[in-house]
Amino acid sequence: MKRRVAPVRVEAAVHPVVVLAAVAAGAGLLTWFAAGRSKPLGHAAGGRSYSPRGREVTASAAQRLNHASTMLAASVLFDSGLEHYRGQFFNRAMYTPIVVSSVILAASLHGAGDTDPGSSRVRHGVQALAGLTGLIGFGFHAYNVGKREGGYSFQNLFYSAPIGAPMALTLAGVLGVIAERVRDADPDEPRLGGLPAGRSLAVATAGMLAGTTLEAGLLHFRGAFQNPAMFVPVTLPPLAAALLVRAATKPEGASQSGAKWGMWAVSAMGVGGVAFHGYGVARMMGGWSNWRQNLIDGPPLPAPPSFSGVALGGLAALELIERSRFRF
Amino acid sequence: MRIPGLGNAADNPKHATPGDDPEHHPRARDGRAPNVMRIGEWVPMRQHRDEEEVDFAIVGTGAGGGTLACRLAEGGVSVVAFDAGPYFRPLEDFASDESHQSKLYWTDERIVDGENPLQMGSNNSGKAVGGSTVHYAMVALRFRPEWFKTRTLMGYGADWPLDWREMWRYYDQVEDDLKISGPVSYPWGPHRRRYHRRAHEINAAAKVLARGAEAMGINWTPTPLATVSAPHGDAPPCVYRGFCTLGCSTNAKQSVLVSYLPRALKAGAEIRDLAMVGRIETRNGRATGVHYFREGKWRFQRAKNVVVAGYAIETPRLLLNSANQEFPDGLANSSGLVGKNLMVQGNQAVWGVFDEEIRSYKGPPSLAISEHWNYDDKGHGPFVKDFFGGYSYMSQGPLPQLWANTQASAHGLWGEALVSEMQRYNHVAGLKVVSEYMPQERNRVTLADVKDQYGLPVARITYSWCDNDKALNRHALKFMREALSAAGGREVWDQGDDTCHLNGTARMGSGPRTSVVDADCRSWDIPNLYVCDGSVFPTVGGVNPSLTIQAVALRTADRILARRR
Repeated sequence: MKRRVAPVRVEAAVHPVVVLAAVAAGAGLLTWFAAGRSKPLGHAAGGRSYSPRGREVTASAAQRLNHASTMLAASVLFDSGLEHYRGQFFNRAMYTPIVVSSVILAASLHGAGDTDPGSSRVRHGVQALAGLTGLIGFGFHAYNVGKREGGYSFQNLFYSAPIGAPMALTLAGVLGVIAERVRDADPDEPRLGGLPAGRSLAVATAGMLAGTTLEAGLLHFRGAFQNPAMFVPVTLPPLAAALLVRAATKPEGASQSGAKWGMWAVSAMGVGGVAFHGYGVARMMGGWSNWRQNLIDGPPLPAPPSFSGVALGGLAALELIERSRFRF
Repeated sequence: MRIPGLGNAADNPKHATPGDDPEHHPRARDGRAPNVMRIGEWVPMRQHRDEEEVDFAIVGTGAGGGTLACRLAEGGVSVVAFDAGPYFRPLEDFASDESHQSKLYWTDERIVDGENPLQMGSNNSGKAVGGSTVHYAMVALRFRPEWFKTRTLMGYGADWPLDWREMWRYYDQVEDDLKISGPVSYPWGPHRRRYHRRAHEINAAAKVLARGAEAMGINWTPTPLATVSAPHGDAPPCVYRGFCTLGCSTNAKQSVLVSYLPRALKAGAEIRDLAMVGRIETRNGRATGVHYFREGKWRFQRAKNVVVAGYAIETPRLLLNSANQEFPDGLANSSGLVGKNLMVQGNQAVWGVFDEEIRSYKGPPSLAISEHWNYDDKGHGPFVKDFFGGYSYMSQGPLPQLWANTQASAHGLWGEALVSEMQRYNHVAGLKVVSEYMPQERNRVTLADVKDQYGLPVARITYSWCDNDKALNRHALKFMREALSAAGGREVWDQGDDTCHLNGTARMGSGPRTSVVDADCRSWDIPNLYVCDGSVFPTVGGVNPSLTIQAVALRTADRILARRR
């Protein structure tokens, strides 16, 4: 006699966000391994021999640049994850920055731990790809703002896709690419695109700080600067950026302590900003006990550290200008 | 500032409802009043004995009375403010239920007649501490400057005895006090200071208005609203719950209950809830105090000055009910104008069905506005203006029960037709007007023979449209119909008979023959009797009146305090 048995069906209820997180983590992991393999062996033992001190400076600056891109990539990963989840991944393209930023995060972390001189082709490529992704994202966001009723009005700049946010991914990519370039550069006289590496990087990061300030300014204006602390990220970074530009004009070997302190102040502000945003979440309806809503609708916790990322890039520039490795 | 988890968060949804019954037992007593910003907490309240002659007895705690009470108390005078309604705690007492929340409306008996009898209650009168602002739509608009001199400049209505530039400063002040969330720059009228909070994100219903306005070639803007888009003290930013006109349970809405009254209490004002004032006593041509009913008996509070702020029905009713041998026609009524010139505003709407989902009930109901027809006096083509006055129109967000009522009454649907129409609720959007009706002496509040639960004669409210009003209605409906169709609306239909707001029954003016009160809201007949609410409006304009009522109240407070110095 044959017993009738219902076929056993195994179904795992997996939240799509978990799948996305797994894909992002997997992509990151693959990048990590690939980055370790792609280095041309024996590069450092090439024909020329550099002074150990010069090499120490470029290696340190490169690592610092990777710290910068790590910070920015992490900020983008969590911020775009949060905000695109809020937007319910309405457009499939909204998955992209999460995967790309975890890839560049892995590449940057790998670079951050890499004390060897010499670049990695995979890291270099990944960083460039991320930079490009940020630019494409900027295009998407700009389109989203413009297509709404009222066009490029303050109303739409406040509430549609944040127009400047994808550029953080571009900044991460650019700083990551520069990290690889610095690794390849002549440690005694590092140059980027034909210009002195330190000075050009200083001016570039000053520009990045200005751009990030614009983004923070727009969103804090949306919040009507209701807390006086909201003025800090629109005043401190431009001051620090000005110091950085001034540093680029100083003669070689001059003390850069002013600009250095400026960069450290902006870095600290980026980290401290998370706490302030945490307080902002508490002031939403229901506070932290309603975190599932307020983490999404309140001030974004992962956003402020992007300032720290750019400021770390500024420190790398100062290191290259001063031609001495900082202690911290 | 508040830190969550320490018991002072203004918003713990797990908290139980309060055990007391604010609709039958007063809360403001025993030296304390509810702290409306914190669950279960109280604030100390200074109290006065009935025999004590207080500086000001204020009847009503809404946009006029509550605002005035706050500024007078802050100016250092003793104030007792009476309200017939309960002292609600929004965080605890307000349910997400349309029927239940009708407890906010003044639904005591009134008699309505005339050619176009008014519907009283939800759209025009509140009975709660904080008055109608507890359930108003928070639309915070300024008058057009010319409206303060319509008779002189535009040839209709009556002039206000106020200068618009002075009013502009008081508008600044009330907008700052309420942290109005408005657009970065306002498209109409003279320069104004930037709003203190940014405008809210607009919902799909507001986008319909925007598309329609753009297609018709006129300006639109996110509506300036009295609900904060970023935190303000204990008030969290709006969470777009959509129950604004039925009581905001988060306190994002800056009603008088949560804005001016806590300040008033702090400054030493006393608020008496569930206290119905029935008569003002006079002697030797001066007011001496008010008779009020509270906790089961009639009492008499002595006062050096009395302010009536009961809105345009209860204010004339109280003045007329206070008739005595000295003033046989009612107080402040030597001009015979008390109760006359009642002005409502048009609230007609057009509704249509859209292919896409609208879900208009999300967020505050009126997130976008066009004031074009308040500022364009001529019009052109099919929309030439053949009437005096103007109108603004706004997007709408009716909740389901209101929508079903509208479909049943204004649209005439019932049974199967009503049920199937309600299936399309999520796809409906509409535009609704707030328009300027003319002051007419035949539109008035008088006393009826019927008595209410306090034994007081109820108000008879007589209202009819004039030809100008009807012409305005036609223009507005025609324009909005076209705008809604241009935005993609199908099966567009008119809701032709709705009205809102109450104004004008104790108008201010520049002489005792032609008005009831002067520019300072003081009655011409009785020097220590004031009227401070929408009743004093000589004209209504095409915008919601609350901001102007509050600006006038702020000015009145300044004038009273200046006179005392």
